[in-house]
Amino acid sequence: MNDKRPGSGFRLSFLLPLVAFLVLAGFASVALLATLRGERDISQLPSTMIGKPVPQVALPDLDNPQRNVGPAQFAGAPLLVNVFASWCAPCRAEAPALALLEEHIPILGIAYKDKPADTQTFLQQYGNPFIAIAVDRDGAGGRALGVYGVPETFLLDGDGTILLRHAGPIDRRVLDEVLMPQIRALK
Amino acid sequence: MPAAPFTIVLLLLSLLLSAPLPSGSAHAVTPEEILVDPALEKRARDLSKNLRCLVCQNQSIDDSDADLARDLRLEVRRRLTDGETDAAILAAIRETYGDYVLLNPPVSPATLILWTAPLAIIAGGVLLLIATRRRRGDGEADGSAADKMDTVSYAQSDDDSGQTMPDPSATPDMARPPLPTKLALALLSLAVGCSLLIYLALGRADLPDRPLADRTAEIAAIANSAEQDNAERLAGFEDARAAVEAAPDEVGNWLKLAIASANAGRTETEIAALRQAMMLTDDDPAIVSMLAEALSRAADGQVTLPARELVAGALARNPLEPRAMFLSGLAAYQDGDFADAIETWQLLQSVSALDAPWMPLLADNIADAAAAGGINLPAPGPDAADIAAAAEMSADDRDAMIAGMVEGLAARLAENPNDSAGWQRLARAYEVMGRPEDAQDAHVRAADLLVENPDAQLQALQAIVVGNAEERLRVAAERLLARLVMQLPNRPETLYLQGHFAASYGDAQAARQFWETLLARIPEDAPIAEQLRAAIDAL
Repeated sequence: MNDKRPGSGFRLSFLLPLVAFLVLAGFASVALLATLRGERDISQLPSTMIGKPVPQVALPDLDNPQRNVGPAQFAGAPLLVNVFASWCAPCRAEAPALALLEEHIPILGIAYKDKPADTQTFLQQYGNPFIAIAVDRDGAGGRALGVYGVPETFLLDGDGTILLRHAGPIDRRVLDEVLMPQIRALK
Repeated sequence: MPAAPFTIVLLLLSLLLSAPLPSGSAHAVTPEEILVDPALEKRARDLSKNLRCLVCQNQSIDDSDADLARDLRLEVRRRLTDGETDAAILAAIRETYGDYVLLNPPVSPATLILWTAPLAIIAGGVLLLIATRRRRGDGEADGSAADKMDTVSYAQSDDDSGQTMPDPSATPDMARPPLPTKLALALLSLAVGCSLLIYLALGRADLPDRPLADRTAEIAAIANSAEQDNAERLAGFEDARAAVEAAPDEVGNWLKLAIASANAGRTETEIAALRQAMMLTDDDPAIVSMLAEALSRAADGQVTLPARELVAGALARNPLEPRAMFLSGLAAYQDGDFADAIETWQLLQSVSALDAPWMPLLADNIADAAAAGGINLPAPGPDAADIAAAAEMSADDRDAMIAGMVEGLAARLAENPNDSAGWQRLARAYEVMGRPEDAQDAHVRAADLLVENPDAQLQALQAIVVGNAEERLRVAAERLLARLVMQLPNRPETLYLQGHFAASYGDAQAARQFWETLLARIPEDAPIAEQLRAAIDAL
């Protein structure tokens, strides 16, 4: 009882920084653990596009450059828009995932800053899951979508509203836990 | 008390550390980007400094060399020349890329803590400092009075004067050591000690200076040895290429070229060389697997779709091809199918020599897959420890372990008999275990599930021929052969098997006909031609 009062002054000035440190460390470790578990990805930036109508992008068709293609052409049904490039290694990695997705939803490809000949070679090597491919030679289409690195994937509903955006390759976890549930919900 | 100046030192130090470092990076704007109008260019630069490069994340687009940063710089300048206001440009870019693109985040509920936290921390620190100083002042003023205090009056006192103990011997339970001071002293001496050590090691006045020339010589030496390694590798590469040009029909030369290209980091050449070797050997499973591996390496370790097709092809020809088995497991792993990956890798473990070079990697991978898939390893098969134990096991024990794994697979197939790949694995395992009849039966099961697949029919028929099971499995053999003839008519394998089974079932005339057709289709001097002639004569 006697030692309580004299001790309390010390405890406060000693404990306060400690508590502050622990709070900060707590925040940091929550973020770190989420990153290690793969739930948090620092390359996934918050997107402003979700819930908004997809920007009107119309770019030359890879197979028929006289004609323009864009998401608007496929309005009326859900659509997956995949921004990719032949020079991008993760795009190769997600090729099997896109091949699986192709069976559930039409996929529009946007070949971002890529030479059409390279795009063709890439499709021959890794498969072509797209219903159409828009050639985005100078990256203007990607910029309109807010793309900051390939691959990026957008899920649109029948009205052309962006429901979901995924930056980076589609791996098994993203496929099973993020994309497929949303695609099933659309049907 | 040393604590007061020390606190101030600490505060100054933390302020110093939290101050932004002077940025040494020059801006990344290239001459052709610069606008003619200096006023517009100035606005462009100011805007760019406030926009974050989304790829590098901690540089402004003015600083960053990234492609996207350049695009955004050009976009800013295009909009400026179109006559848009600064605010409109920022708003347009923020519209597509979000608040994150602004290096000065706007005040919003989400960013409130960002804006208030520094102020709160500084305010808290100042309050703490004031509180400590006042208490210390009080304590010193009360010093003489405290001497006279008895315990009771001390307990009633409102002053918080615990820091200065009147007389430690009088009331032992109040004589707690002033912990923060001790801690502060310890930290202070640690800091001083560290800086002293660094100074003595690197900054002492009597240390000889290290002229730039010394260091550049060192760097050049390292670069030189790297270059030499490179030159050796390149020389090996050139030699291999010359050998290929001299004798392009030699599979060995193409393989050497493939290995030399891999060493020289020329993946494209490696892949091309392996494709040549593959063609020359008529898709030898080992070479097909090497090609699949090279393709995967070129794709940063991802087993790509073409690589997967190659692996499947190699495994159809030789189900125990180790490289193909490894890649097949890796493909399953990359698909997140960890159970399948483990099963494939464990089978590879069970059929590999215990000192095979891939064994340690395999054990690591299996452990990885088990961890990633949350799978308990000991249940279906061996983990790293089991393998180590297996190395010490007697041959009988090891066989028993493999037999246990195979029983597990057989039990699973009894439940799910439509798993053709499972039957093929079981067949391979039985072959390894020296149970040919069971292996033949499993092959037949797989072939009956894969009616469209000539390789499966071929495998099962070969197993029957090798195991002399023509009589035991006559019905099945005729069924499989009929399918094979439909799918691959007039192929050498088919003709040979048609002849063989006709001979086995007593139709010498038909056998002769098939084999003579086959003889006419292969080169005179082929080693098998001799055997065939002997077989025809023996009919």
